[in-house]
Amino acid sequence: MGLPDTSRDLSSEVEVDAFRRLFPLRFYERHLSESIRPDGRPLGRARDTTIALGAVASADGSGLAKIGSTTMLAAIKMEVMTPSMESPDEGCLAIDFHMPPICSPIVRPGRPAEAAPVVSKQLSDTISSSGMVDLKELSLVSGKAAWMVYLDIYCLDADGALFDAALLSAVAALSYLQIPAVSLNEDGRVVVVSEEDGGKPEKEPVNRENRKLTLKSIPFSLTCILHKNYILADPTAEEESIMETLVTVVLDSSSQLISLYKPGGPVLANTSAIQDSIALTRQRVRELQKILDEANSGMEVD
Amino acid sequence: MEYVSPEGLRLDGRRPMEMRQIRAEIGAVAKADGSAVFEMGNTKVIAAVYGPREVQNRSQQMNDKALVRCEYSMANFSTGDRMRKPKGDRRSTEISLVIRQTMEACILTHLMPRSQIDIFVQVLQADGGTRSACINAATLALADAGIPLRDLVTSCSSGYLNSTPLLDLNYVEDSAGGPDVTVGFLPKLDKVTLLQMDSKLPIDIFENVMQLAIEGCKAVANYIREILLENTKQLEYRRGL
Repeated sequence: MGLPDTSRDLSSEVEVDAFRRLFPLRFYERHLSESIRPDGRPLGRARDTTIALGAVASADGSGLAKIGSTTMLAAIKMEVMTPSMESPDEGCLAIDFHMPPICSPIVRPGRPAEAAPVVSKQLSDTISSSGMVDLKELSLVSGKAAWMVYLDIYCLDADGALFDAALLSAVAALSYLQIPAVSLNEDGRVVVVSEEDGGKPEKEPVNRENRKLTLKSIPFSLTCILHKNYILADPTAEEESIMETLVTVVLDSSSQLISLYKPGGPVLANTSAIQDSIALTRQRVRELQKILDEANSGMEVD
Repeated sequence: MEYVSPEGLRLDGRRPMEMRQIRAEIGAVAKADGSAVFEMGNTKVIAAVYGPREVQNRSQQMNDKALVRCEYSMANFSTGDRMRKPKGDRRSTEISLVIRQTMEACILTHLMPRSQIDIFVQVLQADGGTRSACINAATLALADAGIPLRDLVTSCSSGYLNSTPLLDLNYVEDSAGGPDVTVGFLPKLDKVTLLQMDSKLPIDIFENVMQLAIEGCKAVANYIREILLENTKQLEYRRGL
């Protein structure tokens, strides 16, 4: 291995880094005019995405999703509760998104990140409006007991496209969820049946048949950045901080539009830009569906 | 309840002087200056270090050394029952303080005046020994960030149940109500920087239990050194040296 021509190469590399820090917009526009981005991706391509199921053994369901460097860990804990009066046949799904200080240098302890409650609300709205989880499946004994599903998503590394990664990890965790078996004891209270008890249990499990949720119309999303005439799919944190106009499109597996989110921004989008974003999302949904199916079938083989 | 069977096996099949399986990985968080994941059996923690960087709160700036801050928090799903308040409760505040003081002792803070080093530790799965796993993860993360250290700090816990000293307690053994000794150890300098114990223990037995924990710390130190060497070899390889 010969030594590289250090003196000249390093100095030109330092200039490129300095240019990138001092004039980030011009640096990016030089790349965009050649239809490429600094990390080598074409404009419409998302970063490498992986899903790992069952990352947290102590939770009832969990999923780790990575889009490029952005890492999200979602885990589900289930508790039994009494359903409300208005909907005695339905359980409840509580979604919470956290950005602990490890994920990014701009998050300070004691002061939560600005993006955290926004993404949290977006996720809640998207998952409930997509109808992915049928709350009636979470009912145990009508009017008396139902499941409360706590879905907590932790951002472990924040490098752009937070909503996409969070939604993907939530969907992965829900698809992997194993509902614990429960039974009614003598007081009429619902207790979790432990699986290690050998022999015949005196109490019949109430829900032996349905241990997994049936998910219909799974939502997948793609965030794009609009800048002049360019549409960049799946931005990194650096791109998000320079070009501020984001559009997030959420489609389900049958390509129906679940949600469209464009929170202001300096660039005004005409209909063709929106349609192009939706087309990019449609393509992305196919990729994500494949990745999720592979992850699920990988776990079933075990 | 029997924590050590007559054949000398514990609840999870280990021998009394056997540690749980350790696994560590450096560089888990791309955005952080240094980061590490550390697992001791089923306890899994992730640590990230940001710094040295500019002090965020000017009034706390120290002119002759670096300011070290630490925050310990547990994920909602890390324990058996879902936790309502993962940080800001008394236990988390106490552990944050303990980790900060332990790490501050081994960082050469006088080399980085007027700056701030942040250590954030997040517990993803808790099965006993979270304090020790956090300190080990923080050491690896600090080494990954290239912060000058006096020595590695390694930590391990030990206890005394059914008249047997036990190394590296898990959650069930920890909540048995027996003594729980946590030791933070500097292997090269052969010094103890952290020593915590609760419950009661006669003094001569305490010596044995503490020695056992120190042996555990030395074993962790060997493993951490291997990981760091492997990491450095990878870095050299990538630079083409």
